[in-house]
Amino acid sequence: MTEHAEGLRQLRAEFIAAWAIAKKDIIIYYLKPNIIVSGMLFPLFMFLAFAVGRPGVPSVMIPGLIAITILFSASSIEPVSIPIERRMKTFDRLISAPVSLHAVVFGESLSGFLYSIGIAIVPFIAGLVLFGTPVLNAVPLIIGVLLTSFCFATMGTLFASYPTESPGDIMSMLNVVRLPLIFISGIFIPISSIPSFGQFAVYLSPLTYGNDLIQAAYSGTTYFNPFIDIVMLGVFILLFQFAANRLYKKFNE
Amino acid sequence: MNAIEVSHLTKHFGQLVALNDVNFSVTKGETFGFLGPNGAGKTTTIRILTGITVPTGGDAKIFGKDIVKETIAARKQMGIVHETSNIYTDLTAWQNLMFTAELYDVGKVERETRGQELLELFGLWERKGDRTNGFSKGMKRRLTLAMGLINDPRLVFLDEPTSGLDVQSNLIIRDVIRDLNDRGVTVFLTTHNIEEANLTCDRVAIINRGMIAAIDSPEKLKKTIQSVQSVEIALDPVPHQWEGLREIPTVSEVRKLGDKFRLITEDPPSVISGVMAYAEEHNTRVISVNTYGPSLEDVFIKLTGLEIRTRGVKTVD
Repeated sequence: MTEHAEGLRQLRAEFIAAWAIAKKDIIIYYLKPNIIVSGMLFPLFMFLAFAVGRPGVPSVMIPGLIAITILFSASSIEPVSIPIERRMKTFDRLISAPVSLHAVVFGESLSGFLYSIGIAIVPFIAGLVLFGTPVLNAVPLIIGVLLTSFCFATMGTLFASYPTESPGDIMSMLNVVRLPLIFISGIFIPISSIPSFGQFAVYLSPLTYGNDLIQAAYSGTTYFNPFIDIVMLGVFILLFQFAANRLYKKFNE
Repeated sequence: MNAIEVSHLTKHFGQLVALNDVNFSVTKGETFGFLGPNGAGKTTTIRILTGITVPTGGDAKIFGKDIVKETIAARKQMGIVHETSNIYTDLTAWQNLMFTAELYDVGKVERETRGQELLELFGLWERKGDRTNGFSKGMKRRLTLAMGLINDPRLVFLDEPTSGLDVQSNLIIRDVIRDLNDRGVTVFLTTHNIEEANLTCDRVAIINRGMIAAIDSPEKLKKTIQSVQSVEIALDPVPHQWEGLREIPTVSEVRKLGDKFRLITEDPPSVISGVMAYAEEHNTRVISVNTYGPSLEDVFIKLTGLEIRTRGVKTVD
């Protein structure tokens, strides 16, 4: 077999393994009734927390709600499932398979990505049905949801690389990062209204670009050029993927 | 080309030296036992040979493929049965097997055919659709072994395959190891069960404190300590003062093994007459006497210094 053919065969094997890992995670972790129900209730509670008692039209909150829902749903399960798999020693099965760590990281992220898309449909439907929030342009919505979901799923897998068998250790670190993102990404406070000392942080948040794309679908306007949003989300995905690959390797040495 | 070639392998964890200049090779088709007390470096060696851990120095090759530089190519040759029965208890036996097959890029037809063969071989076919959280320890272990063989490997790493199992599971797994050997599959076996290694391995390595203490066939290793012969006796009733057995001339050590005693000596005939005199003196009967040459366990104990002294009598841990 030529080197090129062997390379293609291995690439195919990596995708098959990644899909197998994603399927396994979906069956074991994501299709649990409590995970589905809590995932669906999360946007409702977020909505109530930020909308009740405030003046204004709730429908303008829908794009931000979709973005927050993606942030939390995409990044929540892997930081729990991977430490559990470390404890059960099933994670050794993944990292000793004849595939690269990239395939393992990709597979773990893929399940979070699919779950997140499923959960993001809840605020989308609610906006459409309950508040009559129209989508002006579906393209940035689809691209925004896909890229933001994969970005935060990969971020969850990255945090899960921390070599612990206790999910709490990772969740506490993750929340230190996730919660501030909500307030610096233009969801509740427009980016232009954020004080100048906070502007630097705005650019470092992947949620800024995801939210900007989703907002574009509803309002028709964006803070950044949509192309910049797409490129930045792509950069964050690659950054998280390679950082995760590096850390899983380092922590297993 | 050897199945495994390990050369000057070292591994440090901070200040701790887990492996210190380890060298050995395993030929194709060989069943190779890797013995050592807890913390000796067995698991670290397996983790390096399977590409999970990177060595600090030296190298290891699997069928000529460097495990660090050509990790994936090396792993494709091997099946791994980890020490823990690391199956997914929320999946069925069949789902566990198919998942592993997909990780190893085994084609659909082949994995389904082989999956059925393996589940039948390990007596799990009737339970293939059951979630494994209801499986017994032995069934989980057998499924773990089936998962390690789903890719039809040329080399199998078996980490404590029969530890703590019921008789049925033990017999099935030992039969499978023999069958693998007959088919020319190389087996790398770590075990605490020295008798198991004695019966199944072509050669064994004894590792202690990160260094190889000895490598040879079980019989040749036994010959290195011919002075360690023994007489095993059973007394009825067991006298309270049995520590006195150590006073019998030429007895160098007494090990209590359940309801029997093993008296280590260079001269078994003289010990037998000493035991008879001891029995008469303590109003007890000798109900069985057996003499033994040195066992692999004796070699292991001698090389690893693994012994516990209890009131002058040594018991084997």
